[in-house]
Amino acid sequence: MTKLFVAALTALALADAASNVTGTWNMGLQGGHVVPVALVLKQDGTAVTGTIALPTQHAGERKEVELKGRFDAGALKLSGAADGAAEETTIEIAGKMLDDGSLEGTIAMVAGGSTHSATWTAERLKERRQ
Amino acid sequence: MTPLSRRTVLRGLGAAVGLPLLDAMIPVGRLAAAAAPPRRPIRLVCMEMVHGAAGSSAIGAKKNLWAPAATGRDFDLSPTSLRPLEPFRDHLTIVSNCDVENADPFTASEIGGDHFRSSAVFLTQSHPKQTAGADVRAGISLDQLYAQRFGQETPLPSMQLCIEPIDQMGGCGYGYSCVYTDAISWATPTRPLPMIRNPRVVFDTLFGVSDPAASPDERRARRREDRSILDWIVRSAARLRAQLGAGDRTRLDDYLESVREVERRIAAVEARNESGEPRELPSAPAGVPDSFSDHVRTMVDLQALAFASDVTRVCSFKLGRDNSNRTYPESGFAGPFHNASHHSGKEDRILEFAKINTYHVKTVAYLLETLASTPDGDASVLDNTLVLYGSPMGDSNLHNHKRVPFFMAGRAGGALKGGVHVRAPNGTPLANAMLTALHALGFDDLPAFGDSTGTMDL
Repeated sequence: MTKLFVAALTALALADAASNVTGTWNMGLQGGHVVPVALVLKQDGTAVTGTIALPTQHAGERKEVELKGRFDAGALKLSGAADGAAEETTIEIAGKMLDDGSLEGTIAMVAGGSTHSATWTAERLKERRQ
Repeated sequence: MTPLSRRTVLRGLGAAVGLPLLDAMIPVGRLAAAAAPPRRPIRLVCMEMVHGAAGSSAIGAKKNLWAPAATGRDFDLSPTSLRPLEPFRDHLTIVSNCDVENADPFTASEIGGDHFRSSAVFLTQSHPKQTAGADVRAGISLDQLYAQRFGQETPLPSMQLCIEPIDQMGGCGYGYSCVYTDAISWATPTRPLPMIRNPRVVFDTLFGVSDPAASPDERRARRREDRSILDWIVRSAARLRAQLGAGDRTRLDDYLESVREVERRIAAVEARNESGEPRELPSAPAGVPDSFSDHVRTMVDLQALAFASDVTRVCSFKLGRDNSNRTYPESGFAGPFHNASHHSGKEDRILEFAKINTYHVKTVAYLLETLASTPDGDASVLDNTLVLYGSPMGDSNLHNHKRVPFFMAGRAGGALKGGVHVRAPNGTPLANAMLTALHALGFDDLPAFGDSTGTMDL
């Protein structure tokens, strides 16, 4: 009986996680190698807000970009504009949630008329305290 | 007859040269009753290489590029980067499939900072506080635990050596202080120990530290006169020699010759680097060889002398630095290190990276060879040493800390069997292997280390 109860609770928790992207995601951008970046999202209904911390050209530095978009029926769409860039730069993220609760998709950076795209995967960060 | 003190040094102006273990230092009664020789102190060498290993990638694991396929004693090193250690397989304890979760990000702001915090985790197995200021915090490192308990009888409780430049100040990236990248030894959770890159500084530290008269000016004066340190202790050495038996005289002569040989090599490097000839490492001190292998070999020889003379029993040795794009043409692959570690998961590039890993492991083979040929009473220093080698990163293409490369060598005075490969169950913390090593080193009472969950049967 106890086992059934626990299984039911687990199933509910998984269902909730699958319908919600709120939280911190360890996102791996697939370039020449996998660049880990922080994607922090908050979902309210189907509306999603958040940030992505993208590495800059200077090693060890990153720039946080605010994002807005939607998560609906397992599909994620987000966009944002990078402040302070030499030319107007926009970020477009599209993705979907997989059965194991991870995310995957593509990211496009549009600047000065040219677009740079990459694929990505993301897993929820196991947030811990030191 | 009163035995010679183990702490006897040959003194001269600005020089104090410790001695190897001699028969004359062992009480006569005990020498005669050789059936129960005294237990020699265990020496500890902790070597860190950054950027993980090709064998930690999915393809590399399948091809056994780091750990051999078989566990137990009947393992085949030939496909692995450990193959330079084949002559020492009986001294090897390979522990594979362990993770270093404390190098993972714990919070959103820590994501992406793997290169800037990993080295601080390797010997502490603790998660570093994200700060670029002076309020750094990690944990006490394994080598320092050992030094604090068993290294207090020697002139230097421990030495910290490195190969790459470590003189950066402030923050290195992602909000992490550079000390997290540059130091692997932590005396306390808040006190990282500086590492010495220049072999000349190590040499002077080893052979001048016990002499109160050995000021830096005197050491410099001695070098200006282009004389060997042995010239300053010649009388003291002759007096001692007259008291020794034939066997001890040979041991003393061999040892002093080794000191002279290392000193000669350092002087030759300094002369070349001060000659005005172009250097590959123009900003490095004159005592630092441009060649990686020459530099490592000199540092290894200095460690062997330090152990032989019992100036210290503990060395940590940082062979690389995160994000370094140094090249190692002698490995058979001439591409830069950091780029090679970002192999995109492609087999040909993984195999290239494995060449660099193998080349780095060769440095351990040289260390083992050197320690095996360094006498320690009627055994070798290697018999009474534990060497740890590994990386806090696993698959550097993913910047993860899973399946990290790690092995131990030496039998720690018989506490480790050697000649074994143990594959840990998935998710095993590397700290478990390190806790087991600490128990082998005499910390029977230590219940945990870092994020350990238990010990391993090694």
